[in-house]
Amino acid sequence: MRPTIRRAAPVVAAALASALATAPSFGAVQMVRADLADLSLEQLSNVVVTSVSRREERLADAPASIYVITSQEIRASGATTLPEALRLAPNLDVARADAVQYAISARGFNNVLANKMLVLIDGRTVYTPLFSGVFWEAQDVLLRDVERIEVISGPGGTLWGANAMNGVINVITKSARDTQGLDVSIGSGNRETSGGARFGGAFAGGYYRFYAKSADRSNSENAAGSDIRDSSQLMQAGFRADWDDAQRTFTIQADAYDGSVDQIGPSREISGANALVRYARKLSDGGRLHVQAYYDRTDRFHPNTFKETLETADLELQHAFKVGMHQLVWGGGYRRSRDEIDNYPSQAFLPDRKTLAWTNLFVQDQLSLGSQVDLTIGLKAEHNTYSGQEWLPSARLAWRPANDRLAWAALSRAIRAPSRIDRDYYQPGQPPYAITGNETFESEVANVAELGYRATLTPSLSYSATAFYSDYDKLRSVGPGNGALILRNDLEGTEYGIEAWGRWQVVPSFALSGGFVAMHQKIELAPGTVDFGGRAALGNDPDGWMKLRAAWTVTRDIDLDVFLRYYAARPNPAVPSYTAVDARVAWRVTPAFELSLALQNLFDDKHAEWGVDPARPVFQRSAFFKATWRP
Amino acid sequence: MAPLIHRVAALALVLATACVPARAQDGPITEESIKAAFLYKFPGFVDWPSPALERSDEPVVIGVYGSDDVGAELLSLSATRKGGRPLVVKSVRNTEGLKDTHVLFIGAKERSRAPEMIRAAQHAGVLTVTDWDGALRMGSVINFVTTPDGRVRFEISLEPAEKSRLRLSSRLLAVAQQVHSVRP
Repeated sequence: MRPTIRRAAPVVAAALASALATAPSFGAVQMVRADLADLSLEQLSNVVVTSVSRREERLADAPASIYVITSQEIRASGATTLPEALRLAPNLDVARADAVQYAISARGFNNVLANKMLVLIDGRTVYTPLFSGVFWEAQDVLLRDVERIEVISGPGGTLWGANAMNGVINVITKSARDTQGLDVSIGSGNRETSGGARFGGAFAGGYYRFYAKSADRSNSENAAGSDIRDSSQLMQAGFRADWDDAQRTFTIQADAYDGSVDQIGPSREISGANALVRYARKLSDGGRLHVQAYYDRTDRFHPNTFKETLETADLELQHAFKVGMHQLVWGGGYRRSRDEIDNYPSQAFLPDRKTLAWTNLFVQDQLSLGSQVDLTIGLKAEHNTYSGQEWLPSARLAWRPANDRLAWAALSRAIRAPSRIDRDYYQPGQPPYAITGNETFESEVANVAELGYRATLTPSLSYSATAFYSDYDKLRSVGPGNGALILRNDLEGTEYGIEAWGRWQVVPSFALSGGFVAMHQKIELAPGTVDFGGRAALGNDPDGWMKLRAAWTVTRDIDLDVFLRYYAARPNPAVPSYTAVDARVAWRVTPAFELSLALQNLFDDKHAEWGVDPARPVFQRSAFFKATWRP
Repeated sequence: MAPLIHRVAALALVLATACVPARAQDGPITEESIKAAFLYKFPGFVDWPSPALERSDEPVVIGVYGSDDVGAELLSLSATRKGGRPLVVKSVRNTEGLKDTHVLFIGAKERSRAPEMIRAAQHAGVLTVTDWDGALRMGSVINFVTTPDGRVRFEISLEPAEKSRLRLSSRLLAVAQQVHSVRP
């Protein structure tokens, strides 16, 4: 069960609030009315009326390490792709591997095939069961219609299930009600030409929008200045409709995309489509009900490597209610996927057709212990085709000594369930195999302890800090078995670190925000085992990174934003540390018409973020000029 | 350690309570209290044509028509807020009451009589803020929208603002749920 916290789906907000989570208990930490006038306009827009439920459900109350990327931050960043927008989250490691591929993870184990993050777009899981990771090149949204992106670092398995091992990325688009009228953007630069348009209107008592977008990106270059063949053409279109009243919301949405990415040899082709319906309602006893179903199809063709068709159907249900001191959420879900893979001589997934199913049931209880302390305990039982029954428990304690002060502690067990690659991967594509399948590969396990503190000192100054300690077991290794090499579970390790960020509105027209992560990882082989390259494949993590952003409203019509990030070096393969600065200036010529210029890597440092020298791309200064018209 | 933490916490709570004199300030957050807070903030993001509000100690006058609840919340804000530009809240019953007013809030229960008030307010350079679906079509500049999940947002119509020679800041426009450049 993966609740998607959407403004139009209150039940999920309730689930998160009470789950990950916890809304403040009665009275104790409610924001009092006197505080309201101290809030900024943005903060006021997020305060939830408590007269009905008598409690707030602000995300900021959740006892977990959560950073929310707002639509305003996305706009100010000049990002044109989802991964570029994700750079804004201080708790995420985002490394660009080429023009369209990225390695994105929280809390380490980062890789282009990073497999410990759960990624959702409007409640739809977008990781592939092929390797439990995300093909970022195929995940797109009209960024101007994104309401927010919630980035949770740390385990979220009790609510989100297997795969939310190191974190959850939750992309939430605006309700059709909030995207009415026409909105057109066209931009061009030395690396990209792209554009998109959306139109929204009212229909049958509700609201709808249609959008279409297209992007043409050019090759990146390696350090020697030669082209790397990674240029791409991608197109996507979709719609969303919402009907809502005070008690109910109903959403129906769909997207379809098609694209082609150049590579050595024939280019790879990607396409897909999805459709989702969601219904949420308040119940007469104050409880909330949430039902969601979706279908997703993806087609992916990597010439001479593999061709995959994957169909997924997913149904989930959640019910939240209150009994005495208990705020309960329970629910269940069922997902089924079926793939067909065409194998090539170089490698094979065997069997080449596979149906996978995931069933889960969870319950979570938020118990208020006095006026300032909440204890949330939850358990998810999840069954998957490969490893069978898995248990995902967590306990979270939240202490709110005062308004807008939150100290929290959490203990969780999370897993990454086996994926196709862990069990069914063969190399080469026919016997004799060098690497062969392993039907005994088990789930990777993490036991995680977290301590966090969050405070809004004044309306203009807030910060959050989290310390974490994770114990990993049964991590993927490569060792002997079945007369060849197989993927095994012989690596284990520990990881500890801190992540912190803050925001300071210096004066109304100027804000500074930033954060950093520092962590240390130790991975070892279980006694009496060997590993042939599994450790390097787990991830290539820096010891830390730092991000800093300045947003300046220069005049009423001109905005200037600067974003600086520093990454420490990655060990294997070695990627040197780097500092990059992006800047964007926007001029609202009229209220409906805006021109902006976004510059990436302002100081043209030709830095690499990922990959092996000298084949890897290096990123240098790029400019993107955009016009946006919203009549 | 635990007892000390408890004591500190208890102290913090006592201090927090002690510093909050007015009755209306505890209790749950209602739609009206959020709307009042918005009304209190809006003038900071709007320029009126001179000579209105040229002096920094000149009070902002907010007129309230057809909403006692929001009016009460605003009064309590004006009584307890220190610093910044003073706030004067007055009840408005007819177009005469628009004189020397900067902001006019019209509650939904007066929607049938609103068009006349809105026209007069526009003529007098008053920022109109309304509270019901479709109010922008009547010429209101800012209209509150309560979302299904209980947040209070607002939409903006620029055409009437321009007619009243009101300049709305880009920050205000950025926070708005929707900005219409012509009357919808």
